[in-house]
Amino acid sequence: MSTLAEPKRWEKFFWPLLVSALLLAAWHYCIVWTATRIFPSPLEVERGMAELLREHVLWGDISDSLRRVAIGFGAATALGIPLGLVLGWYPAADYVVNPVMQILRPISPIAWIPVAIIFFGVGDDAAIFLIFLGAFFPIVVACIDGVSNVPSVYRRAGRNFGLSPQQLLRQVVFPAALPQIIVGLRIALGIAWLVVVAAEMIAVDSGLGYLVIDSRNSGKRYDLVVAAMLLIGVIGLALDLGFRRLEKIKSVRWGFRNEA
Amino acid sequence: MKLKTKILLCAIGWLVLISALHGYLNVNWAAVLNDYRPASQRKITVAYLPVTCQLTCPVTDYISKYSENGEIFLPRMFQGFPEIKEALISNKVQAAFIVAPMAIALVAQGVPIKVVYLGHRYGSAVVVKKNGPIHSVADLKGKTVAIPSRFSDERLILFRAMKVNGMKPGDIKMVEMAPPDVSGALAAGAIDAFSMGEPFPSQAEMAGYGRVLFQARDYWPDYMSCILVVRQDLIDTRPDAVQTLVDGIARSGLWLDKGKPERDDAADFVGRFYYNQKPALLRWALTKPMDRVTYSPLAPRKADFDMVRDLMMETGILKKKLDFNQYTDTRFSDHASIETAWKYQAGSGVAR
Repeated sequence: MSTLAEPKRWEKFFWPLLVSALLLAAWHYCIVWTATRIFPSPLEVERGMAELLREHVLWGDISDSLRRVAIGFGAATALGIPLGLVLGWYPAADYVVNPVMQILRPISPIAWIPVAIIFFGVGDDAAIFLIFLGAFFPIVVACIDGVSNVPSVYRRAGRNFGLSPQQLLRQVVFPAALPQIIVGLRIALGIAWLVVVAAEMIAVDSGLGYLVIDSRNSGKRYDLVVAAMLLIGVIGLALDLGFRRLEKIKSVRWGFRNEA
Repeated sequence: MKLKTKILLCAIGWLVLISALHGYLNVNWAAVLNDYRPASQRKITVAYLPVTCQLTCPVTDYISKYSENGEIFLPRMFQGFPEIKEALISNKVQAAFIVAPMAIALVAQGVPIKVVYLGHRYGSAVVVKKNGPIHSVADLKGKTVAIPSRFSDERLILFRAMKVNGMKPGDIKMVEMAPPDVSGALAAGAIDAFSMGEPFPSQAEMAGYGRVLFQARDYWPDYMSCILVVRQDLIDTRPDAVQTLVDGIARSGLWLDKGKPERDDAADFVGRFYYNQKPALLRWALTKPMDRVTYSPLAPRKADFDMVRDLMMETGILKKKLDFNQYTDTRFSDHASIETAWKYQAGSGVAR
């Protein structure tokens, strides 16, 4: 399969599945080979997952995690995109705000846990706040970059057509920056899902992150820990695949060079 | 000198410097060298948390260093029960101080460990906000209370108190938190109360925002929470080493119960060299009053453990009924009963 050739339909599924199966087999044989009694084998993990399904906790945990990510990510989008557009549009404002943002940006959401507990107590709000923090800065930065990368010829053309600054931002700059913003959103969603485990460590009593912590606390149940980890991974993949569909929308697609 | 040589020299110098600093500041040489000793002479690694329920661990280490035979074991401090549990399961430590229900639960899950001794008696309390609305156990209804682990006696004591006061199991919302986090969470109002071992109740009292609602002994005579567990393979291969360890712990318990000067001294060296807590805090926890926490008698008793087991089954954290003999080995504590307190005085530099 050369890099230029379009992969055949069956190949799109076959190779990734084969790699996953090989990894599972390697995992299984490592467990057999080392004869460990501590780390679970794939079969034990599968049994653990079935046990969670039987106890009817799994769907509740999945939906709670998704809800927290949806609210946190939604708030980050709703605040981050307008802020990013404004900062990108007025470089002077960006100049003022940028240093503060660059200081806050690299702080891991985990480091915010004590602060989040003081502000929001233990519960849903603190968890959502952490997810919001994780997603907010990548969105703002993507928007600023997106807006400042819009070729000036677009703006001048817009002005020649007599558009007001608001119209120009809404009808020219935003659509022009949209491809980059979408990429930023996709990265931010990945981070939001990544933060979910740390966020749900703060004494929340549901969610996949909680499931990891809860399984850890319940003695020697590493099968449940690994089951929860795998679920987080699979759902993360599904979210990413879903988001990629957005990139296929016509008003965005022009921004990606390889997809004519 | 060429620029290339300069850069190379700088890089080598830097590497040597940080390696030396790392070796001097971070590496625990006693632990590293221990791994190279013959298996029969290797020192046992004992895991502990910075709580007074496990004070005999650092006390034994400190005093035994002054004794003829030198230190008995290698202590290693952890910050929470899940980490200790993982180290124990994966054989990274051979002995550990953990809470009694966790030991029973781990045995039920097939982890090869045995309870050989207790860490203390009493010394846990439920603490509420000083000027808050909670004045009785009944007031806790609908409130959020932090506990160190679902497998902790601090959780069971809450259930006992609830039962006495006619409350239902779901009336209090319990959240699991690492012990060092609870004082801050109570001060910030994130939780309404916590059930923890000392010195965290003392910490909240001393700082002025906490008030002890009840001591564990109010609802549980002869209360115990932290116990010493040892891996079965160690018991099988080196029973003498386990006996030395238990003897040392027993002697420290008796020494701690001798009187106030010993307690003050322990608060001082444990706070400074082990727990990284203010000695004044430990002094408060150990002496106000003196029997807030006690360290003798520490031999495991069937009645205590049967009660813990039954409470565990009642509150749904244990499925099968284990017998006392399945998770304890009392021969070490039997033998340790003839031990006497350490002959050690602060600053004397000799212990016998």
